[in-house]
Amino acid sequence: MARITLDPITRIEGHLRIDVEVNGGSVNNAWSSAQMWRGIETILQGRPPQDAWIYAQRFCGVCTTVHAISSIRAVEHALKVEVPLNAQYIRNIIMAQHSVQDHIVHFYHLSALDWVDVVSALKADPKKTAQIAQSISDWPGNSETEFKAVKDKLKALVDTGRLGIFSSGYWGHPAMKLPPEVNLMAVAHYLKALDYQRKAAQAVAILGGKNPHIQNLCVGGVATAINMENLATINMEKIAAMRALMVETRDFVQQVYYPDMVAIASAYKEWFKYGRGVVNYLAVPEMAEDTKNTKFALPGAIIANGDVKGARVITNHQDLDLIANIKENVAHAWYEGNGTLHPWEGETKPKYTDFQDNGKYSWCKAPRLNGKPVQVGPPAQLLAAYAGGNAKVKKLVDDTCRKIGVGVNDLHSTMGRLGARAVRAHLMADYSLEYLDKLVENVGKGDKVYANHTEIPKGDFKGVGFHEAPRGTLSHWIVIENRKIKNYQAVVPSTWNASPRDDKGVLGPYEASLVGNPVAQADKPLEVLRTIHSFDPCIACAVHTIDPEGKEITKVKVM
Amino acid sequence: MKTLVFGAGNLLLSDEGFGVHFIQYLQNHYVFTEDVELYDGGTLGIMVTHLLEEADRVYLVDVVDTKGEPGDVFRFEKEEFLLGKLPIKMSPHQIGIQEVLTLSDLRGRTPDTVTLFGVIPASYEAGVELSPILATLLPKLADTVVQELRAAGHEITDIP
Repeated sequence: MARITLDPITRIEGHLRIDVEVNGGSVNNAWSSAQMWRGIETILQGRPPQDAWIYAQRFCGVCTTVHAISSIRAVEHALKVEVPLNAQYIRNIIMAQHSVQDHIVHFYHLSALDWVDVVSALKADPKKTAQIAQSISDWPGNSETEFKAVKDKLKALVDTGRLGIFSSGYWGHPAMKLPPEVNLMAVAHYLKALDYQRKAAQAVAILGGKNPHIQNLCVGGVATAINMENLATINMEKIAAMRALMVETRDFVQQVYYPDMVAIASAYKEWFKYGRGVVNYLAVPEMAEDTKNTKFALPGAIIANGDVKGARVITNHQDLDLIANIKENVAHAWYEGNGTLHPWEGETKPKYTDFQDNGKYSWCKAPRLNGKPVQVGPPAQLLAAYAGGNAKVKKLVDDTCRKIGVGVNDLHSTMGRLGARAVRAHLMADYSLEYLDKLVENVGKGDKVYANHTEIPKGDFKGVGFHEAPRGTLSHWIVIENRKIKNYQAVVPSTWNASPRDDKGVLGPYEASLVGNPVAQADKPLEVLRTIHSFDPCIACAVHTIDPEGKEITKVKVM
Repeated sequence: MKTLVFGAGNLLLSDEGFGVHFIQYLQNHYVFTEDVELYDGGTLGIMVTHLLEEADRVYLVDVVDTKGEPGDVFRFEKEEFLLGKLPIKMSPHQIGIQEVLTLSDLRGRTPDTVTLFGVIPASYEAGVELSPILATLLPKLADTVVQELRAAGHEITDIP
């Protein structure tokens, strides 16, 4: 039996530690440990509720907009504020475009290199690469010239010994099995993808005023005025610029990312058998289509034991059963006691011990729904929408499964999570344009309302803001007393998935997904990375000190 | 010539947000012409590669974890990142500045000059204020950078 500790797991946020016990070439026990205390919710206590979103969007380094949206919804829910249709559409566009950006970066830059052997790409024939690429997509960028240029640059880089970003890859690992031509295609698209994640970010910036950290939210709506004839507002010209960016990004997602994902999934079909883990799922409704958050394009659901047909579909954000039954346990987390609290009563009292296999071993609390661990993320959202009868999702999921040659139940896996992200990116690229059309149409009808401006009234209030973010269900919980924030807790997607054991000893989703995972070489546990990266982990939200790690460096002290 | 001043960090963790405080300080104390872009990059890392690529000269301001006293400032140039001597981490996904620049290099778009001012922090406690040491340092470092920008030909006006 070998014990492997991965700390930090490469290519993802640097504060996640994974321990696995390997026996006979596969994992038989696992621990997921967040290595940093996230006490940033305490900053919000005592502040005015209308400002919460400005601080909350700094919770995370990557998903700034999602925390802003959840936070504003928490205050609106607490005060029962309605959100005008124009504001809902603008928020929907921001959410959808942010998702597109996030999924592109996750696939190409944070997980593809677990499957794509960069060094093998040097053996590729660019002409054959172009033939393969053109056979799966009619995207105009897939030319022999383009692939040859990438191969030449890559060779120059390898020759200088400066593999940089690729230096932590497990090149030549026996679990890598794509032909050189497919590897070259993926590397070329990896570099190209940076241009398209940028276009998505630009579209968000036009609407949100700034990216990262949008500036246009307010309790009761948005501060984005739209007036087709006014230069200072979002006008015809800016709408056209946004539409052009969104179309280009959609084409990249649907003609490059999605086909690449289908090709890679088809080559690694055995990975639909591994990485199953917890198959209780939660997704909340998303893409609001009325002013009261009671009607959504994408339904949510609670799915128990992978039983999609038996799902309890959730149609709105006022679901009392859901609100009452999300709780967090700290039996194996570095907090005082071993109790379970609802987020409105949530506490953050640190109590650090060492890493104890059978005791406390993570800064992550263990969120539970009705006392059980659940997995959140794109598979949860697709399965929920599937269960809830969303025709677009059903068609897209069925088509994708047919192309790869798997069934819907195979989504409960490492490759299933990667595939679900590509499907969701495809869906969100379409929704971005759909809500832009709806916004223009609604403004054209003469509806000029963007916000129901709201003063915080006297009295005690509690609210929850749900959002189905790229990594899964996010909820912000607020308690307001005398116009100030009394308590604030964020239960984030990665906390659900990276959860440690609870007081009953039940493993969290990362942990459970690793049990049974193959490991060919204990010193190069590529297969563990594949499964963990498939969740798109992003743990403690945003510490990123530059760290020269004690190596010899040239440095000039300037002050 | 376009110059980008890029402040990185998390505003909620006291000195970790130094780069962001730095950008806010510049915005509040100086007026820049369009050839200088001030950017509060938060902790985005790889998702802002394009911003670096669009500038000719880049100044990065961030905290560093290295030997020395809180408030010490170190200066690193692009060659030092690219030579691989400095495995620095800037993004929450551990795709650091070195990797981002290598990527840009592969795309044929590395900016000509990249300078990092790295500051040793005193505190990572949850909080939106800088520690007294870094709060004192901030205007001095801002003055250093502004003088260098002026020497390079950028017009910068003080806000009285």
